[in-house]
Amino acid sequence: MATTARSGGNASGSTAQRPNGTQQNKNCQFKLVLLGESAVGKSSLVLRFVKGQFHEYQESTIGAAFLTQTICIEDTVVKFEIWDTAGQERYHSLAPMYYRGAQAAIVVYDIQNQDSFQRAKTWVKELHKQASPNIVIALAGNKADLSNIRVVEYEEAKQYAEENGLLFMETSAKTGMNVNDIFLAIAKKLPKNDGAHNQGAPAGRRLNDNENNRQTNNCCK
Amino acid sequence: MSLARVPQLRIVQRDLKCRQGCGFYGNAQFDGLCSKCFRERNDKRKKAEQNALPPVANSPNTSGTSTAGRLSPQNLLGRVPNKRQDSMPEISTGTLTKKKSLVPAVFQKTLQSNTLKSKKLKQDGHLGQRAYVPDPTESQFMLQLRQLRIPDDGKRKLKSEIQRLDNAIRSYMNNSANKNVDELSEMVQNAYTKLADIVHNDQRFQIATNEDRESAIDFFEKVVMTQNHKFLFSPYFTLDEENDVKIQKRIRQLSWITAKHLVCSIDEVNAESRDLVYNAITELVGIDSYYSPQEKLECTVRCCRHIFELLKHSVGGPASADEFLPALIFVVLKANPVRLHSNVNFVTRFTNASRLMSGEGGYYFTNLCCAISFIENLNGESLGISEEEFDLLMSGDKAFSTPWESALLACEGLHLISENMKRMESLKKRNSSIATGIENFRKDLEEFQREITDKVDACIAKAPLTILPIKTPSHLISKARAHLANGSDIGLATAESVGHYSANLIAAISADGNTNKESTKNTLPLVKNSTNQIIDILEDASHTLALKDTSTTSIGRLSPLPPAQPNIDLQFASPIFNYTPFDAISLLEDHSDSTDDYLINTNLRGGLTNVNYDFDLSDHSGENSVTEDLKLNLEEFDPLAQKPTAESDLQATEQNGSTVERSLLDSDSPTNGTLLPSPLKPTVTDYRGFSSFEIPSISCNTGDFASLNHSVNESEITIRTTSTVIENSKAN
Repeated sequence: MATTARSGGNASGSTAQRPNGTQQNKNCQFKLVLLGESAVGKSSLVLRFVKGQFHEYQESTIGAAFLTQTICIEDTVVKFEIWDTAGQERYHSLAPMYYRGAQAAIVVYDIQNQDSFQRAKTWVKELHKQASPNIVIALAGNKADLSNIRVVEYEEAKQYAEENGLLFMETSAKTGMNVNDIFLAIAKKLPKNDGAHNQGAPAGRRLNDNENNRQTNNCCK
Repeated sequence: MSLARVPQLRIVQRDLKCRQGCGFYGNAQFDGLCSKCFRERNDKRKKAEQNALPPVANSPNTSGTSTAGRLSPQNLLGRVPNKRQDSMPEISTGTLTKKKSLVPAVFQKTLQSNTLKSKKLKQDGHLGQRAYVPDPTESQFMLQLRQLRIPDDGKRKLKSEIQRLDNAIRSYMNNSANKNVDELSEMVQNAYTKLADIVHNDQRFQIATNEDRESAIDFFEKVVMTQNHKFLFSPYFTLDEENDVKIQKRIRQLSWITAKHLVCSIDEVNAESRDLVYNAITELVGIDSYYSPQEKLECTVRCCRHIFELLKHSVGGPASADEFLPALIFVVLKANPVRLHSNVNFVTRFTNASRLMSGEGGYYFTNLCCAISFIENLNGESLGISEEEFDLLMSGDKAFSTPWESALLACEGLHLISENMKRMESLKKRNSSIATGIENFRKDLEEFQREITDKVDACIAKAPLTILPIKTPSHLISKARAHLANGSDIGLATAESVGHYSANLIAAISADGNTNKESTKNTLPLVKNSTNQIIDILEDASHTLALKDTSTTSIGRLSPLPPAQPNIDLQFASPIFNYTPFDAISLLEDHSDSTDDYLINTNLRGGLTNVNYDFDLSDHSGENSVTEDLKLNLEEFDPLAQKPTAESDLQATEQNGSTVERSLLDSDSPTNGTLLPSPLKPTVTDYRGFSSFEIPSISCNTGDFASLNHSVNESEITIRTTSTVIENSKAN
């Protein structure tokens, strides 16, 4: 009996700490795991999202492995805790320890690298098999700024994502393309107990609005 | 029973050996003692209890109520009996307040408290266990509990919850036959969930902020875990200890692993990064020294921060997990922390589950678990080496590096030195090259300079710029000479101005000299007639002057000047107020052949005096312009003052003649001056000042009488010479 209670706590950390928090304040805290082969730009993506920078690191940024970012979606404050994972093959077996209890995952691949895409597929498979069942998975084809030398076609990845029920975007940490958008899309898709994420049509336009909101709300996080 | 003792910092040796130091291995169940020492100590305690009992019994026991005990916490012994009596009916609120009031007494903890503690433990009752004298940690918790910003009701509730969990753990540890650590963990986790529910939903916590609620939950966890660390940490019914030993042994076997094997960017040779590695290792080892899971997690976070710092140096930016995990594995391998499994399991089992699922601490702790898991499952493949090599290295059959490598490692200092030497060598080379470069440059510069000078010289040679001596055209010189000759005769250059003054003087002084004045205006032929008159007038003037001089005794002041100057005037016909022409004239005069003999003489004597007086004059003029004018006037009349010296009549007449000549020219200018009124008027007014003879004090008379006499003598001489000059000029 006790085990179930505990695992319930694991499934959504915020509810375990604060059962009423979500309903009352619409404060959500989500654990998001970054998966992907090394050197596909996982940490660049997160740094771009969290610090708004690429290569120009602030002194205060001590590490890019664990970062948090708060965004506002409609009337809900969503706090992302982003856990980076080691992408090397030799650490692959350790991944379950990272995505245990994660509510969201971004699987990153490099559009110039077919292997990284294949690795991404195995990650997705593994997540479906082992992670919590309602985990939101996003597939991110990074380094989209180098699309002229791409190897992984957009349509191919898009099709794969649709087949597996993934969010999909091609991103570029360098230019910032789709970086905020993919996190916003995840935040929208995550259950916030009010079903507000189910408004499909205006989503594309609203993202920009929300991005503006995010920028203004950064300071008060 | 003895387990009630405060958990203390455990170290490796103590963990393995008996704490008494008897050399046998100790056991956690025997409080870290070997069985023998444990029994001995128990016997001692029993004796000590018996000794301690009488004072307890004798202590003031009058207050039958618990409140009295609460209010008199100053005496430990006095409190304990109350405790004993009231333990049963006491409610949680009561204990709470009592504990609060007890805080100051806690620091008076004595040896007896230990004995009393063990004795109290004998007493039954669910509160009995909690009723012992609080130790420092517990008292600290009391303080913290009071500092929590939650309502008092909430504090009481919290306190009771803590006690409930405490007792549950203790009773489980004491009573349960088949102990299972998972059950224990579930129990604790359930308690956490329950408490969270209470804190967030109970009315007693309603006014508390979310942060305060969180801190209350943290406090709960911290207190319970610290209190029960001894039960929950590495319980004897688990395999934690064996696992600890196992992983320690494995890490020892893996000591050959270097950063290179892990594809980790730690530079093992760099002193700075090594310091950071040591910092991280210190923190990692330090995890074992904390009691509560929170503190252990915080320690882990600190360790990982050090690693990030380290990676920042080698990666050049914020490190990602790709770099971090290998580095953490490396640090764990190098640190080989004690009781690694026990610590990790303790945290995993007994910390609030949400803590491991979120937050920095959770992330880093997950990484630590990953590192341990990786180390345990390490094989050749994961290190990038073949299985055979891995086995060889693990068994120790193969040295973990080539002799050369190990030698390098052993002589790392030497290696550094050699590297530094190399660097120094290269620096030296660069330095010398710079030096030669400087030398070359200097040479070039010199060459350039030489070239330029040569060129310039050539140019100059080609087109010589002969800077001729300021060649005053000869006709000008001759003109000037003629001019001067004239001047000497007539006092040309200066006659005008001098004439001005003399004319003014004449006009001013002689009220009766109107006729004479008129006569001065006469033309040259008339001059000879009027000379006598003029002389007369001048005589009068000099008389008045002399009189006035004597009366004011100002002659003494001006004495160095007047006797000499007139002579100069006579000699060179130079204006006293205009020196340069005078000098020029005198220089030119030198060349003049006619007066050569005389002038040489005068130069030899009077020239010196000239120079001196020049300076004196200039000084005075600088001081006061009025004095200048006065002097001039005076000097003008000095030639007349010669008269008293009474030379030969002839000379006198001749002299007079010369003055006549001067005055003749003078006479011209005054006429002009009168016609042109403006420039003359001021001098006239100046003269007025003179007539009143208010000669401003001139500082040159102080103790200068010797020079005065001398100048007087000189004046005599110069007078003579001037007379001869005049003669000469007349002859010309």
